[in-house]
Amino acid sequence: MAPISIRGLTKRYGNVRAVDNLSLELVQGEILGFLGLNGAGKTTTIRILLDLLRPDGGNASILGHDCQSDGLRARLNIGYLPGEMGIYSDLTGREVLDLLAGLNEQILDKVRRRELQERLEFPDSDLRRRLREYSTGMKRKLGLIQAFQSDPLLLILDEPTEGLDPLMQESFYKLLVDVKQRGRTVFMSSHVLSEVDRVCDRIALIRKGELVLLANVEELRKLAARPVRVFFAEDAPVAAGLPLGTAVIETSPRSWSLKVEGPLGPLLRAIATLPVQDMEIEEAKLEDVILKYYRDGKQ
Amino acid sequence: MRRAALLFAYSLKRVRTLALTAGLLLAALQVVLIFVASSIQSSGGFDQLSSLLPPFARQLLGPSVATFMSFSGIVCLGYFELAVMGALIALALTLATTPASEVETGFMDLILARPLARHWIITRTIVLTTLVSAAMLALMVGGTWAGLRMFAPKGVPWPSATLVSSLAVNLGMLTLCWGGVAMAIGAASRRRSVAGGAAGLLALGTFLLDYVARLWQPAEKIAWISPFRYYNPFDLITGSALPLKNLVVLGAIALAGFAAAYVLFARRDISN
Repeated sequence: MAPISIRGLTKRYGNVRAVDNLSLELVQGEILGFLGLNGAGKTTTIRILLDLLRPDGGNASILGHDCQSDGLRARLNIGYLPGEMGIYSDLTGREVLDLLAGLNEQILDKVRRRELQERLEFPDSDLRRRLREYSTGMKRKLGLIQAFQSDPLLLILDEPTEGLDPLMQESFYKLLVDVKQRGRTVFMSSHVLSEVDRVCDRIALIRKGELVLLANVEELRKLAARPVRVFFAEDAPVAAGLPLGTAVIETSPRSWSLKVEGPLGPLLRAIATLPVQDMEIEEAKLEDVILKYYRDGKQ
Repeated sequence: MRRAALLFAYSLKRVRTLALTAGLLLAALQVVLIFVASSIQSSGGFDQLSSLLPPFARQLLGPSVATFMSFSGIVCLGYFELAVMGALIALALTLATTPASEVETGFMDLILARPLARHWIITRTIVLTTLVSAAMLALMVGGTWAGLRMFAPKGVPWPSATLVSSLAVNLGMLTLCWGGVAMAIGAASRRRSVAGGAAGLLALGTFLLDYVARLWQPAEKIAWISPFRYYNPFDLITGSALPLKNLVVLGAIALAGFAAAYVLFARRDISN
């Protein structure tokens, strides 16, 4: 049973298609990064999953339960972190956590909450304070605790690291690895490509409401162009016959800066006869591929 | 059900200070009115006051002017004084537009991301509005009783328990009626200010319509659409029984508002 299954989902606002015939399926135990520019339809999709928005077409289900017709069961076992924590500022952190835990089906595991507090450095003294005294980062931490505290089977996180400092981001990544190891599934939207590169198993990229890329992160990384610098012992003009997928970025008489897509073999063969002194090959960046999809859509 | 009860308890906790303060102020106002009525009674000033009334006020009050200008009439004033009615209706509008406020702040996202059906949000709001409104009126009645016990001059007849309860019940239904209207508007709104403002303007407009109709005959034809038409405190003071029709009409408007709120909230997109 797929943690999330989306088929032909469409949501229109007037003439604008916020989500356009989106189909997507998550595998249990994976972390799927849901990427897209502002207004691409990420949050709309998440809100349809939570039955906050009603789709104009298609359907979505969580753990086998339709999000609209069987929404209560669909939401029985999920933890949700919204993009912005809308909480009344006159409540204390503990009141918020207790209320939201009480609205869940599962009985609150206080040991789990304590563990989350420790991992996110959120002491009891902070929980006793009213939310009007909280900084953006503290609200985010509270949001993470409320999403994770019932140890749900599926976590839906909207921009989870927004407002977290680098140390807390690190703690959050470790938390994700931990929940993944325990078989939980995470569906997270993000703008931070380095974070997606680091923690996600797969990415789904949405552009103008359409899914333009669904791929394994490892495989995608192989598609990325690697920066390569070639240094020569003597002057070497750029040869005309560089292999397909090799772009010349910059040249000087004794060095070339290139970007190479795919395997390096053809390039090595092409320069085999030249007086190569040294080569620098950098790791491929996932960002390069993703940015291309952001700009151009489906390839 | 357990989750809905928890949400209700949380909502009640949030409004308890506001409700308690408003209730105590309204109760205190009843005590003050009785103290004033007692002073006027002791100085024999009701006849003088009556002669000072301008003609339009006499026309507005009709034959009830004599009854109103009495100890009992002033004691009852607390149940139809403009500020009191305004405060009660404003409180009902505030409570009834709680869902709009929760949508606006984004708190609704967190609530509805849990396995809680949408209808519980409206049920919670209805119970909250009804209970708090009833508590306000109970505190007012308590204030009246306490004021009479403390300040009523000996030998002066008190307003009957039936009269006070009739006024309280009729005023309560009027309050709930506006709660229903505000809830229907709030269930479809993204902003509490818009929902509360729209309901408030509607209340003000229909109040003025009722007021004008009492002075200007042509407006009488359409005055039946005003809920304020179904609250006639002067008739009650002069001894008329509380008309069941008034309660039925106000109750029906409230119920229609609640029903519309259920339907609108169930169908809408939750988006702030």
